[in-house]
Amino acid sequence: MRSALRRIASLVIKEFIHLRRDWWLPAFMLLGGALELVLVGWATSRPMTNLPLMVLDRDRSATSRAFVVDLGNTGTFRAPEWVDDQAEIEAALLRGEINAAVILPRGFAEQVHSASGRPVVAVLLNGAESLPATAARRAIEGVARSWGDRIAVERVGLDSQQLESFFPSLRVWFNESLSEALYTTPAELGLMLEFTVLIFAALSISRERELGTLEQLLVMPFSSLEIIIGKAIPAMLIGFTDFLLMLGMVNMVFGVPVRGSLALLLILALGYVLVELSKGLAISVFARSQHQAFLLVMMVGMADFMFTGYAVPVETMPLILQKAANLVPAHHWLAILRGILLKASGIDVLWPHAAALVGLGLVIGGASLRYVRRALN
Amino acid sequence: MSWRHLLAVARKETYHILRDRSTFILVLLAPTLLLLLMAYALTVDIERVPFAALDHDRSPISRSFIQGIAAGKDLDFYGYVGSLEEIEALLVRGEIKAALIMAPDFSRRLLSLEGMPLQIIIDGTEPESGAFAVDHVGWRAEQFLRDQLSAQLQAMGIPLDTLQPVDLRVRAWFNPGLEPRVDLIPGLISMVLGFPALSVALALAHEREHGTLEQLMATPIGRAELLLGKMAPYILVGMANVIFMPVLARAWFDVPFHGNFALFFLLSIFFLFAVLSMGVIIGVFMRTQAAALALSLLLIFFPGFFLTGIFFPIAAMPEVMRLEALGLPGTHYAIITRGMFLTGVGLEVLWPYAVMLIVLGLAFTGVAALFFRKRLA
Repeated sequence: MRSALRRIASLVIKEFIHLRRDWWLPAFMLLGGALELVLVGWATSRPMTNLPLMVLDRDRSATSRAFVVDLGNTGTFRAPEWVDDQAEIEAALLRGEINAAVILPRGFAEQVHSASGRPVVAVLLNGAESLPATAARRAIEGVARSWGDRIAVERVGLDSQQLESFFPSLRVWFNESLSEALYTTPAELGLMLEFTVLIFAALSISRERELGTLEQLLVMPFSSLEIIIGKAIPAMLIGFTDFLLMLGMVNMVFGVPVRGSLALLLILALGYVLVELSKGLAISVFARSQHQAFLLVMMVGMADFMFTGYAVPVETMPLILQKAANLVPAHHWLAILRGILLKASGIDVLWPHAAALVGLGLVIGGASLRYVRRALN
Repeated sequence: MSWRHLLAVARKETYHILRDRSTFILVLLAPTLLLLLMAYALTVDIERVPFAALDHDRSPISRSFIQGIAAGKDLDFYGYVGSLEEIEALLVRGEIKAALIMAPDFSRRLLSLEGMPLQIIIDGTEPESGAFAVDHVGWRAEQFLRDQLSAQLQAMGIPLDTLQPVDLRVRAWFNPGLEPRVDLIPGLISMVLGFPALSVALALAHEREHGTLEQLMATPIGRAELLLGKMAPYILVGMANVIFMPVLARAWFDVPFHGNFALFFLLSIFFLFAVLSMGVIIGVFMRTQAAALALSLLLIFFPGFFLTGIFFPIAAMPEVMRLEALGLPGTHYAIITRGMFLTGVGLEVLWPYAVMLIVLGLAFTGVAALFFRKRLA
């Protein structure tokens, strides 16, 4: 036992000597990942602002101008470009220069101030960029609604509070200000962690094989299990350090809180890193070259990506995908990560996910260990 | 520069790729397979958002309100709950994403036209499903209100239209339903077509790692011939994908293609040239495949995803990032793919982007050739 430990230690030291010589990989894994997370988090967690907007005001009244001013006040658009002709709008849409255009008809002011007029506001959106177009639509609808409410209040003689009481009131839990960073960055962190661990583990054995040094290792007095453990320890250390670094980063830069137990989070993170690690080692043995290993990691990682709930929560997906999600470790990990960070959930709530993670870990880890050992022998 | 030399290198590289059958298949299929996976990951539709109801009123009116919502397919009724604590527990466990609370005087106030005391609670950690629930409940509440109150309002002499006087007529061009799938898939093409660039970086670093680059340099083959010859087979791989991907987009994801395919093919070659040159710079600069891989992910993969305007419009980015985006071939190509697929425009609109691709391609190849001499000297 003692000598086995010594042999593993010497393998680990060998790995670290490799890492020091080829310092680009660990540097990228640790700093690059964390830095990228900040960049990506920053780019994706900002509300859409500064979108180009065109206005065709056929009314040219104080009222129509006030409507446009209200559009500007939403903060979604940059200063609107005023045009005189619908053809200009159509040309700009074709060239992709604007995300939205608003056309106010002649008689807009008259309709607004009359007893029962319905002013028509035409909106043209550039569907070739659906995400900003949707943001633009939401902003314009918001302005139209508040104008509608004001007009209705004037006409019916209700007071505005009375009207308000007909609309459902909204409360948001766990993320009261609906900060985008709080829900996008944990998912991005989870994703970065998965790719880091997978790539690192996948390159470890495929590289020795490609360079012909795996044979050398195999003829030395190491058992296959010792080689696997020796390969796994540095990858685990890098993955776990990376997680700590990224967690600190999202906490400081984006104010993502850790509302639950940090200890529980760290233990489960370690478990998750182990599961991904065993996946990575299996890929590493399966692949014939580093190039192949890398491409396989991209495929596996992207397939998992769907189930992390990044774009759409898993619970709202079609039923068959919900069932499939249960078999993806990243899905359980994201549920745990979000639960502990934002909902202050404890193990009493998260145990199904933790149990699934452990179960999947045992199955994947066991299969991977058998597969890798057989391949090495 | 001699064509014979260039072709000789291209043939050697092609032979390398083809010899390793499984890597060849992976390199060839990677862009299209990744497009398929990412399109699924990012555009899964929200189908059924689970919600619970806390009905303090327990009247026939409040029950029929909930029944109306439960009957629809967009929101999935979890069941009635007895207390706020139960709602909290369900939200924490993620079993529901939204909850409706009806006040004890729900039906009384509704019938006496005082208001509609309804509260919606959503899970802020997943705002996408929350916004979905708010939109759909709001819409149903309005319908319900109309059905319940129309007679009463008319008796009071208030026409229904006056409650929502601004008539907003929204039309989205190119993508009438504003479905993210329709414009994200053309955008993603610009991202996954960067994968051959990662492969060329790895292939060059591979020669470095195995010491065969020096052998090649000892032959009368020039630098430019060597670099272009290395790129040639990967450009072919990319071109094959330029044919696969529109077919996949049309047949599988129902994304239209309105442009001129021959022009699209030509502009895609410009893009491949530009992005592969980026890969060549990395391959020339890095000594090992692992390092080349790390740098490719950092410079090609992640920026290609987040900075090329696929998700986040360039117009809304801060100045610094906008400049960086202009230096990425993917930014210009994403505009071209969306133009070709959705707006169906031709060179009269797209020429500036085509010119940018050529300029970037030439600049990157020049830099690569320069580096190459320095690194080998």
